[in-house]
Amino acid sequence: MSRLALARTRAALLALGVAFVGGGLFSLAPGPATASSHREAPLISGQPQYDNTDVYAFVSPDRPDTTTLIANWVPFEDPSGGPNFYKFATDAHYDLNVDSDGNGAPDYTFRWTFTDRYRSGNTFLYNTGPVKSLTDQNLNFLQTYDLTVFKQVEGKVVSQQRLATDVPVAPSNVGKASMPDYASLRQQALHPLTGGSGGWGNGGQVFAGQADDPFFLDLRVFDLLYGGNLSEVGNDTLRGYNVNSVALQVPTRMLVASKSQPTIGVWSDTERRSAGGWYTQVSRLGMPLVNEVVIPVKDKDRFNASVPWNDAQFGPYVTDPELPKVIQKVYKIQAPKAPRKDLVQVFLTGVPGLNQPPNVRPAEMLRLNTSIPPAKNPNRLGVLAGDKAGFPNGRRLGDDVVDASLQVVEGKLLGAKTDLGDGVDTNDRAFGTSFPYLALPNSGSAVKTASVTGSSADGLGGVSGSSRTTPLNAGTVADTEPTHHSPVVPIAAIGAGAVLLGGSGAIWWMRRRPSRSL
Amino acid sequence: MRFLSRKRLYGLLTVLALAAGLTLAATVVPALHVSRPPSAADPGAYEQVSADGGLGAGIARLQAHLRAQPRDSAGWSTLGLAYVEQARLTADPSYYPKAEAALGRALTARPSDNDAAHAGLAALAAARHDFSTALTQADQALAINPYGQNALAVRIDALVELGRYPEATAAAKHADAVAPGTPIFTRLAYVNELSGHVGEARRILRLAAASATDPGDQAYVHDQLGELAWNSGDLGTAAREFGLALRYDPGYLPAVDGRARVRAARGDVAGSIADHRKVVAALPLPQYLTGFGELLDATGHADEARQQYAVVGAWAALAKASGVATDLETALFDADHGDHARALAAARAEWARRHSVHVADALGWALHVNGRDAEALAYARQANATGYRNATFRYHLGMIEKALGKRADARRDLAGALALNPRFSPLYAPRARAALASLGGRS
Repeated sequence: MSRLALARTRAALLALGVAFVGGGLFSLAPGPATASSHREAPLISGQPQYDNTDVYAFVSPDRPDTTTLIANWVPFEDPSGGPNFYKFATDAHYDLNVDSDGNGAPDYTFRWTFTDRYRSGNTFLYNTGPVKSLTDQNLNFLQTYDLTVFKQVEGKVVSQQRLATDVPVAPSNVGKASMPDYASLRQQALHPLTGGSGGWGNGGQVFAGQADDPFFLDLRVFDLLYGGNLSEVGNDTLRGYNVNSVALQVPTRMLVASKSQPTIGVWSDTERRSAGGWYTQVSRLGMPLVNEVVIPVKDKDRFNASVPWNDAQFGPYVTDPELPKVIQKVYKIQAPKAPRKDLVQVFLTGVPGLNQPPNVRPAEMLRLNTSIPPAKNPNRLGVLAGDKAGFPNGRRLGDDVVDASLQVVEGKLLGAKTDLGDGVDTNDRAFGTSFPYLALPNSGSAVKTASVTGSSADGLGGVSGSSRTTPLNAGTVADTEPTHHSPVVPIAAIGAGAVLLGGSGAIWWMRRRPSRSL
Repeated sequence: MRFLSRKRLYGLLTVLALAAGLTLAATVVPALHVSRPPSAADPGAYEQVSADGGLGAGIARLQAHLRAQPRDSAGWSTLGLAYVEQARLTADPSYYPKAEAALGRALTARPSDNDAAHAGLAALAAARHDFSTALTQADQALAINPYGQNALAVRIDALVELGRYPEATAAAKHADAVAPGTPIFTRLAYVNELSGHVGEARRILRLAAASATDPGDQAYVHDQLGELAWNSGDLGTAAREFGLALRYDPGYLPAVDGRARVRAARGDVAGSIADHRKVVAALPLPQYLTGFGELLDATGHADEARQQYAVVGAWAALAKASGVATDLETALFDADHGDHARALAAARAEWARRHSVHVADALGWALHVNGRDAEALAYARQANATGYRNATFRYHLGMIEKALGKRADARRDLAGALALNPRFSPLYAPRARAALASLGGRS
């Protein structure tokens, strides 16, 4: 499931006042039965540890001969009110897939599998005293993982190789008293790959553990779709929340098909073990926002169960998307004419001359041309702003994919002048300059400044003090010129098959004077 | 809000009484009685829980949100499901009409391709025991979104309750293949238990316990493991699993009820009564009231037992007024503690709707208490035919056989009931033992 689809669900759940505690999410059920003969089993269950939220792929800025891949799970990890610890599931495959030749099938699948370890045998205690290292006996609960790469041809596994074994996961940051120096725990969780000096092990490294959620956006945007009258935006809804991340840095030459074909496709998936013993794909994620901007509500579960090879079934949603029509209806912004070849390139094939492999099979994945060197001064809007090392050529942690995606959907690549955005331009915490680049997780001792229970995620109530109170402030840092804004018009309910709907909070649409260039 | 405050409970029970059309004097007294807090030695965590927080407050916020965003179809669907849940948590079925209205708004806001609304309507229908509608709605949701876990789960529930067990098993296996997860694991375990595959049910529940992280899910799964152990007379495992459920969620009342039964079975009547009081104070539902009443009956407190039984009728009246089909509960309760003719009429009415083993058992037993054992036998046999190991079902069958003079069959089935769980009921296990002895058999 993708980020915003989840966000919708979670916003609704948060609206119900249910706390995200102890690795659990929420369950409407189980409730007591209303009759002895009628068993009421749980219906809505807390299962966030199987939910993909985001994928990143970029040429490592400090080691440009390597490529870094990151995938996140378990959104909305709340460090406060704990101790709260968040696990990777032990009955799941956490996969990062790489398509080297553009045929729509993975050439490499990197698979993390996790194991629970208890040092004292007490399964209810996280730690028994201050934790100073990953081997500290005070850390009662610890997860470890194995990493295996599966080499595939035409979707069939031809070989597999273990790249890491029994590596400790960086634990949930429960607070200063328990973890006085979390940065050192993070450092200890970085692990070199095995696999030979001529292969993956040649400078490859891996990380798994908690991190600050690098995604930034204002979820309240969604309310406008129902006619909401929001006057605030620019509040990073995800500020203060953590995720569980896996990160991998490998020599680029190991990933690419050849020097002349340097573009790779990247996506993540989660497979969950069924009671019958086989593994079923329950979540999938490549490009950000696809599940919101492209796939209709009714097909989101189908998409999560599908593989890129079969993405032709979703083609019409890309070539003739619902979202710009809705925007046109409500905001009077002309929708670009269908069929949208520009969107096919961004979402399915890569852009010619940038990140489209030869003979590409249209399939939804993040496509990264690894031959483009890292930018010295990355622009948050990536390619839209002339920074070819950024989204949609792969995705860096700091890329503002909400703004970029909205502008692409509105035809920016077709020359349309559009400046849509959500008013949140950067993550609240700075990213690192070396692997795994992710910001350290928010501590259980810290107090969140933007509480979801206030208003951000559910869009139901007041606005927290940290929010910027103009809807028109995207990128206004250097914008001293008094801009004239067209009014923010509420978007009416979207019909069947539309995206970006459901739940509360949504993409905040605004339109600034088109003369401003980015 | 997981539990009612005492104040709220008084109010609820007053409503129950009024809705039942009974005089205040006749019902409020037992209602007040059951709401008496447990002894000081056993305060109970639930006493601390405020009635103002949690789900109730969340519903209020969701309502406020929907006043501002009335076109938010998914919001209406969520509110509808929240009402269904609130009805469960509070034993107040008046939330069902509200759920119906909210889900109706969801469909109005998005009339087509709205699988969430249909899944919500399916859950509502199931909660009201209208399993045909639940099945229809679940199928509608799945036609739109074949991967929707809620609809897949309710579809299994509906087929189980309709007595269509082979289809239910197939539906559960299908759901496990396309959308594995705790809601599906628990249902797959149940269809296995119903067909007598207790070991497989236990394996799947343990798998669910290893997989779930949500404390509520954990409590549910361990409670079910406790019930499995209880149903096979394994008091030690039952006690441990009910205890684990309560460790994950100290206020999980079904596990308190399980612990109460284990305590009674081990001779701790005072401890059992204290637990039962907690349960009925927060959840005055028929099976809890009846279970408590039967313990009181069995331990010589017939007057107090009658007070518990009196609340059952009030619940049924209120439930009926909120669109809940209560015939099965009425049949089970009236056959043992109420009007026999009414029990039979209710059981027949339910049998006209569905043929589950639970309805077959209730109809057989209702026929028996009305002296119609020849008719009863087929139903009692059907109740025991799927392999489901239920000591009460087996006891009913044995008593019917005994009344028909089928002494060998009666000995076999009464002994079978006691072999499954020698203490399956404080009231009926001794009767089973006595009946068996009178037939010259031994447990």
